[in-house]
Parts: sequence; C-alpha cells; structure tokens
Amino acid sequence: MVNLIKNVKRFLIKIGNVIKNIFWNIRRILNNYKCRISNYLDKKHLNPAGKFPGWAKALLYLSPALVVLLIFTFWPIINSFALVVYENYNMSNNTITGYTLFGNFIRVLTDESFIVPASHTASSAVINTLIIVFISVPISIFLALAISVALNSIKPLKSFFQTIYFLPYVTNTIAIGLVFAYMFKTDGGLVNEFLNFFGIQTDGLSWVESNAVYWRSMFVLIFYSIWASLAFKIMVFLTSIQGIDKQYYQAAAIDATPKGRIFSKITVPLISPMIFYITVTSVIGAFKIYNAIVALFGVTGAPPGVSYNLQSIVMYIYQFIDGSNAGNLSVAAAGSLILFAIILVLTIVQMQVSKKRVHY
Amino acid sequence: MDKKLFEKSKKIEKITFIFDILAIMTYIALFLILFNLLELPPIVDGRMNLDILQFMTPTYEFLGNTLDKWQMNSIISIIIIFMVVNIPMLAVNMKKNRTKTIYEINSYTAASKFVQAVINLLSFNIVSAVLRTYNTFIIIKFVKGYNVKEFFKSIIPEIKDAIAKRKAKKAQIIEDNTDDYSSSLKKNIRRQTTIHTFRLLGTYLFLVLMALIIIIPFYWMVLTSLKDFTGATTNNPEFYIGISRWNWINYKVVLTELNFGLYIKNTVIVAIFSTAGTIVTTILAAYAFARIEFKGRELLFSILIMTMMIPGELYIITNFITVSKNGLGWVGMPTGQNQYFLAMIIPFVTSISYIFFLRQNFKQIPESLYKAARVDGCSDFKYLTRVMVPIASPTIFTITILNVFSSWNAYIWPRIITGVGGQEGQNYWLISNALRDTAFVQEGGKVMYNLQIAASALVTVPLLIVFFAFRKYIMNGIGRSGTKG
Repeated sequence: MVNLIKNVKRFLIKIGNVIKNIFWNIRRILNNYKCRISNYLDKKHLNPAGKFPGWAKALLYLSPALVVLLIFTFWPIINSFALVVYENYNMSNNTITGYTLFGNFIRVLTDESFIVPASHTASSAVINTLIIVFISVPISIFLALAISVALNSIKPLKSFFQTIYFLPYVTNTIAIGLVFAYMFKTDGGLVNEFLNFFGIQTDGLSWVESNAVYWRSMFVLIFYSIWASLAFKIMVFLTSIQGIDKQYYQAAAIDATPKGRIFSKITVPLISPMIFYITVTSVIGAFKIYNAIVALFGVTGAPPGVSYNLQSIVMYIYQFIDGSNAGNLSVAAAGSLILFAIILVLTIVQMQVSKKRVHY
Repeated sequence: MDKKLFEKSKKIEKITFIFDILAIMTYIALFLILFNLLELPPIVDGRMNLDILQFMTPTYEFLGNTLDKWQMNSIISIIIIFMVVNIPMLAVNMKKNRTKTIYEINSYTAASKFVQAVINLLSFNIVSAVLRTYNTFIIIKFVKGYNVKEFFKSIIPEIKDAIAKRKAKKAQIIEDNTDDYSSSLKKNIRRQTTIHTFRLLGTYLFLVLMALIIIIPFYWMVLTSLKDFTGATTNNPEFYIGISRWNWINYKVVLTELNFGLYIKNTVIVAIFSTAGTIVTTILAAYAFARIEFKGRELLFSILIMTMMIPGELYIITNFITVSKNGLGWVGMPTGQNQYFLAMIIPFVTSISYIFFLRQNFKQIPESLYKAARVDGCSDFKYLTRVMVPIASPTIFTITILNVFSSWNAYIWPRIITGVGGQEGQNYWLISNALRDTAFVQEGGKVMYNLQIAASALVTVPLLIVFFAFRKYIMNGIGRSGTKG
C-alpha cells in the first residue's frame, strides 16, 4: 500500500516537473524579449519607466479604486447637495418645478411622521429612533461588559463561550429577524409557550402580530437589536480587558480587594476609552437601524391592524425610493443630510473626548 | 522515544484519510441521490399545491428496497448526521497530522484516536475504524512501551494501583488532622474554597444562560425548518422531534418551487465578482498609500477617511439616480436592456475601510525590505505581488471573508435595484430580499412558516459553516480592525 502511494507520488511529481519546465521556458523567452525591447528603448532614450514621476505611478495604482470612488462616493455627495435644492423633483421624468434653499429640510422637519407624531398615531420616526437608541445602547453595553468580565475570569470552556457569543455577528439580519418574529408568534410561539410554562396566562398575547400594543412590539425590536449587537461589543471589550496589565490585579489581590471594587476601580477605568468608543459607534449604529425593523415587521414598519408604526429615520428616508410616496428624492436627500448632521456631531464629540483620554 | 513508531503512526493516519474521504464522498453522493428522489407535490394551475405537502405519503424505490416517507426521512437524516460529524473530524485530523510533532504525543492522543475509531464504526466506515484502532495500539506502544497483550493485562493492575494510592493519601490526611491549629486553618481554607466555588458556579450559570439566549433562535430555526405545516403552527409546539419526522422535502420545495436556487446563484455571482474586484482595487490602493511617495498623499487619504463618516443612506439615494435611466442606464430601462448585475456589483468593487485596514498592515512591513528589493532590481509591481501580498495574506484573507459575508447579507441596495422592472427584476433577487419579499402565503392567508424558516436556515447555515471553518481569521480580523461591516 505504502509503495503504491510512493509510486503515485513520484509519477505526479514528474508530471509537475514537466509542466514547471514548460512554464519556465515560456517565461525565459518572454523575459528575453522584454530585455531586448528595454535595451532598444534605452538606446533611443525613450524608456518610460525611468521618466515616471511618483504621482503618475501612484495614479496608476490608485486609478481602479479612484474611478469607482469618484462615481459612487464623491459624486453622490455633490449630487445630494444639488438634489436638496430642487423643488418637487420627479424621478421618473427627471423634471423639477423650481429651486428652494431650505424647502425640503422644512418639509422633512414638519412632516407629520418625522418629528411630530401624526394625528392618528402616537409615534414618529424620530421618537421611535430615540427610544431604540436610549434603551438598547445602555442595556447592551452593560450586558456586554458583564459577559466579557465573566468570560475573562474563567479558564475552561472560555473559547467555546467566546465562539457562541460571536455567532450573531455572522448571521443574516433578515433571516434571524424572521425567526424572531416566528418565536414571538401569538399562537404557538416559543415565547408565549415559555411564559405559559411559568404560569403566566398568555391567551392571545400579541407581540408582533395584529393588534400588538406599541410597547410590546417595541420590546421585541429592542430585544432583537440587543441580541444582534452584543457579539461585536463582547469581542472588543474582551480584547481590551485581556490587554490590561496583570500587575494591577496582583496588587489588588495582595490587598484582598473585593471583586466589585476591582471591577469599578481597575477594569472599568482602564478600558474606559474602549467603552466610550463603543458607546459612540453603537449610538450611531442604533440611529441607522433599518434591517431589524424590516425583518420583524415588513416594509411598512408596523404590525397589521395597528394605528402606530415603528418607522426609524432611515426607514422614513427609504420610503421615498420605494414606498407609499415614492419619487420625491429631494426630500429623501434632505432627510439623509439631517441624519448625517446628527452622526457628524456625535463623531466630533467622540474625537474631542478621546483626545483628552478618558482614563481615570 | 522510538521515532520509527511515530512515523509509522503518521503513515497509517494518512492511509486512513483516503478511506475517510471515500466515505464522505459516498455520504454526499447518497445524500444527493436521495434528495433528488424526494417527491414534490403536483402542480395545479402553474403553482405547486403546497397544502397537501404534509399529507402526501409517497413510496420510493431505492437499491431494490421500497421505502416509505418516514424511512426515507430517517435515512437522509442519518446521512446528514454522519456528514456533520465526519467532515469536521477529517478537517481537524488533517490539520493536526500535518503539524503534530513527536513531543505532543501522549496517552490522550491514543484515547482520542480510539474515540474516533468508535465514531467511524458507528458511521459504517469499517476500514477506517480498523486502521484507527490499530493506530491506537501503535501510539500506546510508543507512549507506554506496551504491546497489545501487555496493554490488556496491565489494565487491572493499574486500576488497583490507583485505588491503593488514593487510600494511602486519605489515610495521610486523617493522620495530619491531629493538630488543633492546623485544623482551624484548614477549616478557614475550606470556607474560602466554598465561596470561590459558589462564585465560579454563578459565573458559569450566567454565561450558560446568556449562551442559551444566543443559541435558542438557531436551534428553533433548524427545528422548525424540519417540521411540517401543522407542527410549525400548532398551539403546543414540540421542542424535539424524532429523525423520521425531519421533513427534508421542505428544503427541496424552497430551492425549486420558491426559486431559492436561482437567488442563491445570483448572490454567489454578485459575491464572487464584487469580492474579486474589492481585493484587486484595495491591494493596489493600499500599496500606493503605504509605499509610494507622492504629493498630497496624506491629504487624499484623510479625505477618504472622512467620507467613511457619511451614512450609507446618502449614497444609496443618489447612486440610485446614477444607475437608473437618467444616469448610466443600468436599471429602469425597457425589458431586456437592464444590467442588474452591473448595478449590484460595480458600486461595491472597492471599500475605503478595507483600504484603511490593509494600509495599516502594509505599513508594518519594514521599509528596508523594499529598499533591498529595489537594489536587486525588483520593480514596484513585482515587489507588491512577491513580497507584500504573501506577508499580508492573512489580512487579505480576512477581508475576503468579510466582504463575502457583507454581499451575502446585503439587503437594501439589491432590493432597490431589483424593485424596478417588475417580474424581470424579480429574477435578479438576492437571497436577503427574496427572504423578505417572497410570498410564503398560501390561498386563504395561510403563512407557510415551516418553509419560511427553512429558507432562513438555508441562508444562515452556509454563513455558520464558513464561520466555523475560518473562525480564527474572522475573530482576529474584527478584533484588530475594530470596525464593523
């Protein structure tokens, strides 16, 4: 058996050598020609390689990326500033009725489902988004801190738990959102079944289906967004906790410091830059929530048969592309510029604070 | 240490791999054959009649046997379980066999070989089982110096020895306990140990609870995807179902009748092209930013970094105008002239965050290497492909995986692009928007939850497989880059 394998191996190596020889011969011939051509060019003082300035070479390397970025990153920025000054832009026949400086912004800000709740509902895009931001971000940061401190204090099964906690990061938001909606089903949903098991009566308790109460469907949305965002935070916190110098903990252990004080006086201050960074990025992420809402409640952003809806700011923007009032992209551009302003302010705050180093 | 025995055990392991691979190929072939045999419901008025899906009881002829629906389900389930156990085992073994040194072999290696032999035997891979058992004895001889016979003879004396040692230890502890001071000290230590144990128990309890919350949606997804319609919508859902009731037909319906085969093909095309483009453009651009000196390099780079702050929604609105008929004319044209794939791929063939990430990596490669290469007459491009790319290959691999993930999960852009053009656009759906927009509703408002969840599982499982295969790269990459998406 072993002999046979050896023979087969030898045969394969021989074939490989033949192919390699052919390949190298071709290369040799090509190189020969290349040398001849460059020699000829050198003689006539025409060799382009010697005369290339740095920026031309850089342009050569940058051009594939820059062409795409110019069309799909820089041009859209300019274009969106052009778009907001159009009045009644119509996408289908590319016509406008006039120009306006702040008209589109005013239209967004006074729209009855953006800041001010519409007359028949109790919620608007901004209110919904702010609720999601102010509830889901603090809870998920505290939970992630607790989990990563607990993970850091154990040895066996550590990498197993780490892998499990990382799972939500690599999943499809829409797919798992559908599973969550199924788990929170009224009849025969896992959650209602679970509550029944503990003796809580849940006859027809509706979470995401028709006639669900506002806070109940909001709870599902926040629960899902926390579930999905934990993975990244745990990962970052765990990396930075592992980077803390062990001497601090050894000194604390000699003084018999209680665990709670070690956490609040050593761990948290030393990773505070990371906590702050995560807070800002997750606030930005929560402001841009969209996929989770679509997965749980569909494109309308509301359970069937209710008077409110769970639109976020991004969802409000997208409804101008394909929604009830599609077509007027100027208003959408104005909305996204407002979102950009919010994010810009948050980023500037983060940069200013992290310059001062949030240690201690 | 007998080096010959070690080499022999390695060689036998290599021969075992051949039989392992043969067995796995057999499982895959059997699975494909059986999956193809599964009978779909008849087509009525151009649509498959999914209402009768769970009441059908077809019989199948396979290798001269007549199998009913339940037997067929069980056989497919068993084959899938075999694959799930054997393929990772083979991959791990191959990696270990390549890297294992003579110093890493101990009695645990022998034990794990034996366990693997038992698993092989259970999955009807008898040749591998025999070879692995033989290998176990070789390793035992290598570690302890026993022959097979001596090994079996040595089992009982060794157990007796262990018991005797334990007794002796206990007796010693009782003798030690006479002193008054030492006993109080011991009590103190015991109390501290108890507190420590309780704390550890609490930590583990908390971690297990959280892990359950993370895991349960996945478990519930796989379980529901295998249930029939009644099982998925009943008021008292089952938490476990036997293998004869795992309805693999759900997946076949999703792939064929609900067109998910086509959507997966579309997504794979988009993912491959956009990832290939991203890799090429980011490597070139990152090299230019890291090594080539030119005026305005830092300025250009900081402009690029600044654009990362702008929310994607802004781009999507105006990019939609760019690709539609008033701009490049890729979508929104009369039927037949639309270029949906171009519109979905080209905007994503480069990424500023990956350029940033790769540039940091390139900058860590010492400058002296570049100068040495230039002295030897190496051109810039050759230096990039021969030196830089091989050194930075782990990062490039991480970027590849993350980019494939993001194209697999892309939702809003494909949805907007394929939303124009009605039925024609629908043929270019990617899986995420297919998941959300496919009507899983039958006549009479019945939502086919089991099929919907089966489609979700079909989207999620490939991601999980890639994740488990390249876990180290993905987790390291995200830990280091600290950026999301």
